[in-house]
Amino acid sequence: MSADVMIYAQELTKRFGSFRALDRVSFEVRRGEVVGFLGPNGAGKSTTMRILTCFISPTEGTAKVHGHDVFDEPLEVRRQIGYLPQRAPLYQDMTVFEYLRFAADMRGLDEGTFKTRMRKIVEVCGLAQVLGKDIGTLSHGYRQRVGLGQALVHDPPILILDEPTSDLDPNEKAEVIRYIKEIGKDRTILLSTHNLSEVEAACARAIIVSKGRIVADGPLDQIRANTGKTRYVVAVSEQGEGAPGAVEVEQAFTALPGVSKVAELPTDDRAHAFELSGDKDSDLRAELFHLVAGKGWTLLELRRDAQTLEDVFRDLTKGDEQRDRKLGVAADTSES
Amino acid sequence: MSTTLTIAKREFRSYFDSPLAYVVVCLSLLLLGFIVFFGVPRYLPPFWQADQASVRSVVEALPWGIGLLVVPVVTMRLLAEEKRSGTLEMLITLPVKDSSVVFGKYLGACALVASLLVTTLLYPILMFQVWHLGALDWGPVFTAYLGLALFTAATVGIGLLVSSLTESQVIAFFVTFVTMFALLSVDFFGEHVAGPVGDVLHELSLLGHLSSFQRGLLDTGDVLYFVSIAVITLMLSFRSLESRKWA
Repeated sequence: MSADVMIYAQELTKRFGSFRALDRVSFEVRRGEVVGFLGPNGAGKSTTMRILTCFISPTEGTAKVHGHDVFDEPLEVRRQIGYLPQRAPLYQDMTVFEYLRFAADMRGLDEGTFKTRMRKIVEVCGLAQVLGKDIGTLSHGYRQRVGLGQALVHDPPILILDEPTSDLDPNEKAEVIRYIKEIGKDRTILLSTHNLSEVEAACARAIIVSKGRIVADGPLDQIRANTGKTRYVVAVSEQGEGAPGAVEVEQAFTALPGVSKVAELPTDDRAHAFELSGDKDSDLRAELFHLVAGKGWTLLELRRDAQTLEDVFRDLTKGDEQRDRKLGVAADTSES
Repeated sequence: MSTTLTIAKREFRSYFDSPLAYVVVCLSLLLLGFIVFFGVPRYLPPFWQADQASVRSVVEALPWGIGLLVVPVVTMRLLAEEKRSGTLEMLITLPVKDSSVVFGKYLGACALVASLLVTTLLYPILMFQVWHLGALDWGPVFTAYLGLALFTAATVGIGLLVSSLTESQVIAFFVTFVTMFALLSVDFFGEHVAGPVGDVLHELSLLGHLSSFQRGLLDTGDVLYFVSIAVITLMLSFRSLESRKWA
């Protein structure tokens, strides 16, 4: 293992009874990387983070943080990380200052270091106005900031943040992402979320987990390129003499070489709009234009996009949704 | 050790951030005063009728008050509330051992109950030092309070253990209350059961092991009984907390 590797997970497996929450998960995060840890609810993100922070133990496999084994050296691991669990669970009866002081005392910071760190935390996390307030009276956004503040109080080289933007309004989310980008300039960060725009805004690399397994790992562009397809949107007028029916248009597009999927998009009664998938790096716009023109149809729209990370994510994790629906049916059946 | 004390300090202070500590301390002192001066029919005579310079009623009423009211209220939230609210994850992922978390919380709760115990010393001080209601022999008073301190150490351990087994403060309160009631009243059943079963019940009794302290005697067997309960419950609480890793 290279000295540059800050987080190392090897074949991590975690079972809760008969349920396998993690299934041989392996990955590395290097110094200075900000990595998005993506997956739908229940995919195993929080379980992985809890193992990395020594809160729970893996059933099988090993993990090291900053070179320290999470099983054999939990205190060393925790000294090297700043951790913000999901929904920032904080002591609501304490003021912000008292809480940060408590975190600093627990980490053995002396008075001078604490004061220096406090100045930086207040500046980066924007806590100046709420230092004397009870945490219980703060908004979710401010609580997340306090949670980030406690994670940063000892200036750790590694940050592990579990859905730091959940339950926040769009403005608060943007603020928190801005903080993460700010503090990520000189730290290794593992950021768990299922919000893809946040990953695109803050991370250069993503790890996507689904049903306890890693289904993609790499730079965002590479993930898009490896798993992505090219997407076209085509709209044909359905008004006027000789206008085609939806089925006719769909059949024509499906028969076009290079088109792998055709799906009708909702639209008004003036047009038939379809979403087409083509091979990555392909360009079928000319063929589509000639097809529509050759049939004598009126082309209203023709657009080509690279597949978004959201499409990639949905493709890679769609099994989770299907599994949930099957379980839902099973539960309904058993209840009835 | 510093993390243990930091947790204990936070725990102790948190009681005073809510009305809980004030209500428990004030209610306990009021109830105690009521029992001391009005007595309990067929069990404790009112202070004025006893006609003795003694704090017998104080030291005999306190185990019931501490065991059935103070300890269940003080310990119900120790770990149960941390688990329910998720703050346990935040706490345990700081560089702290599980044993420090358990011991710190235990010390914080013990400190609150001990503070209450110290405030009850106001009764003998005011009655016999300030108002001179008689010449009190302070020796038995100190051994009785030493016994109550050991009783506190043991019962807070029991409450902490119960709190470590559930996420519900309400369940923690009732289970601790029932356990305390059983351990406090088992002596009465022991008196009516002959043979080895009666002996075992007497040995289990919290009150049975307090009686020698109340008479001014210091019995190492009784000290060992309370210390053993405290140590065993702390170890079991630690195991209970650690079990999350393997769930």
